[in-house]
Parts: sequence; C-alpha cells; structure tokens
Amino acid sequence: MDFLWHAVSDKEKEEIKRQAKQIMDSFSGKLEKVEKLIKENPLIEREKCEREEGENCSDNFSREIMFSNAPNKNDDFIIGEKKGW
Amino acid sequence: MNTVDKLKSCLEKIKKENKKLNIFLQIRDEKELLEEARKIDAKKNKGKLAGKIIAVKANICVKGLNISCASKTLENFKAPYDATVIRKIKNEDGLIIGIVNMDEFACGSSGETSAFGPCQNPSALGLIPGGSSSGSAASVAGGFVDLALGSDTGGSIRNPASHCNVVGVKPTYSSVSRYGLIDLSMSLDQIGPIAKNVSDAKILLNVIKGTDKCDSISQNNSTAIPHPPTQEKKNSINKKSLIIGMLDLSGLKVDNKIEKLISDKIEKSAKKYGWKTKKIKLNYIDLAIETYYPLVYVEFFSGTRKFDGRRYGKKIEQSAGPEVLRRIIGGSEITKAEYKGRYYYRALKVKKLIEMEFEKFFNGKDKVDAIVMPTVPRLPHKIGEKISVDEMYSYDALTIPANLAGNCCVSIPAGKLSFPPTRPGKGNNINSKKNIHLIPVGMQIMCDKFQDELMLDIAEKIEKV
Repeated sequence: MDFLWHAVSDKEKEEIKRQAKQIMDSFSGKLEKVEKLIKENPLIEREKCEREEGENCSDNFSREIMFSNAPNKNDDFIIGEKKGW
Repeated sequence: MNTVDKLKSCLEKIKKENKKLNIFLQIRDEKELLEEARKIDAKKNKGKLAGKIIAVKANICVKGLNISCASKTLENFKAPYDATVIRKIKNEDGLIIGIVNMDEFACGSSGETSAFGPCQNPSALGLIPGGSSSGSAASVAGGFVDLALGSDTGGSIRNPASHCNVVGVKPTYSSVSRYGLIDLSMSLDQIGPIAKNVSDAKILLNVIKGTDKCDSISQNNSTAIPHPPTQEKKNSINKKSLIIGMLDLSGLKVDNKIEKLISDKIEKSAKKYGWKTKKIKLNYIDLAIETYYPLVYVEFFSGTRKFDGRRYGKKIEQSAGPEVLRRIIGGSEITKAEYKGRYYYRALKVKKLIEMEFEKFFNGKDKVDAIVMPTVPRLPHKIGEKISVDEMYSYDALTIPANLAGNCCVSIPAGKLSFPPTRPGKGNNINSKKNIHLIPVGMQIMCDKFQDELMLDIAEKIEKV
C-alpha cells in the first residue's frame, strides 16, 4: 500500500479494523517469548497510584479563540447535539 | 545579520520555494513579523534566541495560529494559548515564523500521511523526508529557518533529521514540558529541537528545557548545558577518555552500507579523540517495534477521545486518513477489558525490561558513556511508493528504544550513500546514471537520562570529523 492521505470509505474502515487486529496479534505473539521473564518480575507496579492535582494553567487562554473553534455555540456555551453521545 | 534582514531573507526563500516543497502550512502575517523583528533588533538586552527564525510543528500550540496536526479534523483549529516551549522561545526573542507540515497527528514515519500533502525532502528531492516531524526537518534543511521544533514519540525528530541531513534532538523524557503539545502517546512524547548543527540545537534546548507546573511529569535537568562552554568545561571533556558502545546490529535488519558508514565514522572519531570503543549487545531491542505500537495505539486512542466534533470542528473518525484510523481502531479493540493484559500491560512490562537493559550499560559494570547506532536502518523510499505496514514501522526500529527507555538521543548527519533505486518500476532505471542520488544518512548518539549535555558534547565532536 502507499501511505499517502486519502478519505477512507466504510469498506476500507472494515479492512483497516481487520488489519489493525492482525498487527496487534502478531506483535503480542512476539512479546510472548519474554512472558516467563515478565511474570517473574513485577516490573511496572507503582507504589503511588495517584498523582496530586496540578496547578491551573489556563491563565493565558483566549476565551474568544476557544469559542471560535467550536462549530455550535452561543455566547456562553458550546452546544453538543442531543442523543449523539 | 539582524533579525529583520534574516526574516526578509527567509520570507523570500519561502515565497519562492514553498509551493514546490510544501513545507509550511501557515506563514504568519508579514507586517506583524516585521514589526516583531524590529522590536527584537531595537532591544538593548537581547534574549538567547535573538536573530533566530523558528518553525513550529503543527501539533505544538502557538496562540492564534492554526494548529491542525496536518489533519482535516483540526483544519480550522486555532490554538487558544501558547505551549510552554513557545512561551520560553518568545521570552528569549526567538521569532516564530509559521507552522510546518507533519504526518497526520504524528502518525507516520515518512511524512506522507499529511492530509495537506507530503512535504518534499530538500536534501533528496522525490524521496520521503521522514516523519513525523517532516516539515520541521525539511524547513531547516531547505534553509527556510534557523531552527525548528518537532516532537518525538518513537523517532519523529531523529528519523526526518537523518533523511534531511540535519541535527535532531530527543531530550530526556520529562526534561522538556509537553504542555501545549497535542499528544500522540503521553508516556513517550517529547518535544525537541532540529537545527543545522549541534551548536544551534544546544541553544534551543537550553531555552526550552526545565520543569513546568503545567506538565506534571516534568523534571529539572540536573545538569545545565552552558553555551558557549566554559574553558574549564572544554578542558574536562577533552581530557576525559570516553567509552563509546557500538550497538551490535545483528538481527536488526540494518542495511550493510549504512552500518559500515556509521562504524567508520565512529572509528575515525575514536582515533581522533582517544576514545575507547566496544561492541555491546542489548537484549530485547529486537522487540522494540512490537512493544512500542500497542502502547501508542492505546494511548493515541485514549488521547483522541476529545476530538468528538463538539469543541474542535470535526469528529476524528469521520475526517482522518488511514494511518490515524488504523491506530484509533486498533487502540479501541485492544483497550477492551478482555485484551488489556494481553497487549497493553504486556507491552508496558517489556518497555521496562528494555529500560533496565540500557541502565545496565549506562550504570553497571560494563559501563559505557554513550551508545551509537544508525538512526534509520534503511534508505528512504520514493514519496507515494507502495510499501507494507511492517516495512513502514521498521523505519523506527532503532529510534524507538530511546523513547521506551526515556533516554536522551540525538541524530547527526554521518555521511551520504549513493542511492540506485532498489525496486525496479516505472521511472526506476537502475542503470541510468541520472537516477543515482546521494542520500543523507544519520547516526544516533544516546546517553543516560539527564546526560543531554554530555551527549551533545560528544555529538559536536563527531560532527567535526
């Protein structure tokens, strides 16, 4: 295949879905060869699972630009369509 | 040259050549730029970046500019704030001239997946510039700007730097704030500089590094990078006998010519500076691609849930190209509870194994000061040429390990190789002399976490050989 951008049809989406699953299965299969080693070592356990809430960094935000990016809005709200969530 | 003159010369070049090369997606208003340049020139105490013209990858927020990620999804998106790195550049009088092309949402290794068309490689016309920071590397290589910012998740700064014959730095993970970067994979992403030479890259890295309250994982680099280096520091580097680890590339499918070019370059450098070299073999490095992509697929899927078409224009699933969709759909599939342990957690654990393997060489009894290897294992293909997903992903086989380990790594030009087309086809006449090009090849120098200063010093020395 070539990797140039093009709009994707529904049929191609199905093909991409199949392909993505195939790629992940193949990758996961290759990682299996170190499975025994991984099982013996709790390598990624964290002592602290939560992080402190960071500071508010919105001080240089432009409200005007932020609203201009939303397709549907009124003066104070960005409007989300009903039943589309 | 003052900022105004430099700006004028850059604008002239861009106007003349950008149409052909497709590097810039947006150039700022000329009057506004000139006014800003005049103000910089009039300053008594100028910042560290005064006189430098800078391009920014289209996934780093610059207030008021169109940060599209080279995607139809964000085609009309204007950044409502400055990323921390942008604020730091502006504070040091760097002049941001515009926004450059990239692979769509940084999903790509060739620069071809941009929804606005691929940008050309000024150092090898017709061949891919590399990606995903394709426009950043190409803008520097083409002489459009002095410096550029890119982002590197699995090689996205170093890969195009290698193909375009420029210097690209992936700083230590967490040493440069990502606040304002539209993420690809939050546990791997890093912003870094692209420049014509190591010295310029140092200047920009010095400005953008450091802790940031807006990026909760950011840390202070414990060692400063003085520029220019003090005499005392120069002497200490010159006296030190470094041990350079040359990565054993067996089994990694590296082009023999590339391997030889890098090996010769290192031997010459070691001889000149009195460094010791030794071959090192890293376990699990052959699993880098298989470890990286499950992490990226899942984290990218998670990160793109905000592109639902309500706050930023279009819904990503309805507007993105094939590579972005492959990652979103793949990420969605393997995020499902029944697959979580099999893909993502397994990959996280192998990531840790790879990190520990590097630590063994940087801090253990077989200690080396730096590890060198080619940046990209193969020569670039032609823009639009058909290749498999495996072939595309293999471009990053040697850059991904630094991201998985969190180490700093730089790609510098190592030399050029002649490029007769390898795949016969339309227009590819192997025997035709006019089809033979000289293609840039890059080499990587990797150091331990927060040893960015040492890494750039070594790079600067090799650059001179």
